[in-house]
Amino acid sequence: MNLQDYIASGIIESYVMGLASESERAEFEQMCAEYPALVAERRKFEESLEHYAAEHPVQPPSEVKVKVLEAIGNTDSRSTSFNSTKIITMENAKSSGNAGWVRFVAAASVILVIVMAAMYYHVSEQNKTIIEQNKDLSNTNDRLKERLDTTQSTLDRIVQEQSVVSDPNALVVNMVGTTVAPRSSANIYWDSANTSVYLVVKNMPKLPTNKQYQLWALIDGKPKDLGVFDATDEKVILKMKNTQKAQAFAITIENKGGSPSPDLKKLQSMGKTMVTQ
Amino acid sequence: MGTSITYTEQELVVALKERNDQAFGFLYDNYAGALYSIIRQIITSNDELAGDVLQEVFINIWRKIETYDQTKGRLFTWMLNIARNASIDTLRSKSYQNSQKNQELPDNVYKGVANQTTQLNVDNIGLKKVLEKLKPEHRVLVELAYFKGFTHEEIAEMMAIPLGTVKTRIRNALLQLREYLK
Repeated sequence: MNLQDYIASGIIESYVMGLASESERAEFEQMCAEYPALVAERRKFEESLEHYAAEHPVQPPSEVKVKVLEAIGNTDSRSTSFNSTKIITMENAKSSGNAGWVRFVAAASVILVIVMAAMYYHVSEQNKTIIEQNKDLSNTNDRLKERLDTTQSTLDRIVQEQSVVSDPNALVVNMVGTTVAPRSSANIYWDSANTSVYLVVKNMPKLPTNKQYQLWALIDGKPKDLGVFDATDEKVILKMKNTQKAQAFAITIENKGGSPSPDLKKLQSMGKTMVTQ
Repeated sequence: MGTSITYTEQELVVALKERNDQAFGFLYDNYAGALYSIIRQIITSNDELAGDVLQEVFINIWRKIETYDQTKGRLFTWMLNIARNASIDTLRSKSYQNSQKNQELPDNVYKGVANQTTQLNVDNIGLKKVLEKLKPEHRVLVELAYFKGFTHEEIAEMMAIPLGTVKTRIRNALLQLREYLK
């Protein structure tokens, strides 16, 4: 085939514009390898086509360039300017290798904290219960101690009374009622050896709250104050003031707190000691 | 991207094959308008889709640059054919066919008005402008072959003319086209 005829057949344009068939393309490429003149003609058409296209552009939407650059940046691995992205990816990949361990430790930490919190709560609740129980026990203890003290003091008094009553040195003076108070009665235990005076109320009428009984020792006709007492202390042995001497004992009703000298009109009870001179 | 740097075609091809993104920026800035023109001449009724195709074309250029063989043609020729093939593939896709059905009515209604508006008249850009200078019987064959992507055999069947006649007329049309491009 004549080269000029081949060029004039329109094969160059058909090939360049992508309209040639497979067999035509193969033939054209082979011809190009043989004839540089054909390549030169092809190049001329390509340049005029490119030139025309460059002279008649259509402005594309501006966002396309951004999208394209994003797309190639994300997909290409050999571009130097996108190396930083690659490094981040690798770091992520690397750290994701540890992520399982980190997640395990994190999960274990959370579980540990929860368990410790639960244990703390449990122990503190137990503690609270124990403290409460302790308080109860302590209160009970206090009450028992009080009762013990009371019991002890009662026992002490009983023992003391018993000792006074059974004391061979004790002088028992039986106080009898007067005409003012015929039923009033009390016993005086007077230990002449150590001068102690004890009073056991047997039956003394109740008094108004502003009044008290007062015990007197009569020595050589003069009354000596031995202290005051209330009727409520009935049946209980009372330690009165000591006296070395007494020919008789007397009980009067006085204002609360006692009087320096007895109101003998209110003489309630009287008893003479055996050892009257 | 360094638009201040210019490349000869040879330098550009080497830089692109080395995955130089600065060279790729240069490529986009210098060729996007020309490639978008051919895309719009094929995808005539959908700007958004044409933009998507341009994006796809440049991504394919970047990915396939290794396969570009300088002995078979210039870089622009290679890129132009990628753009044309991508556009025709889109044109033939089912989604595009469906979108065309929906737009059929307004297209027909406003066809006459479109020429007078400031909107892009896709019948009057790029190679199509040159096509107008061709004889109608030549123009329709180039239109069907180049812009619609039909094979010569398909065109022969459609137009009820012999295959040889189709081939001859197309080649003659392209030769005339070449003259108009000069």
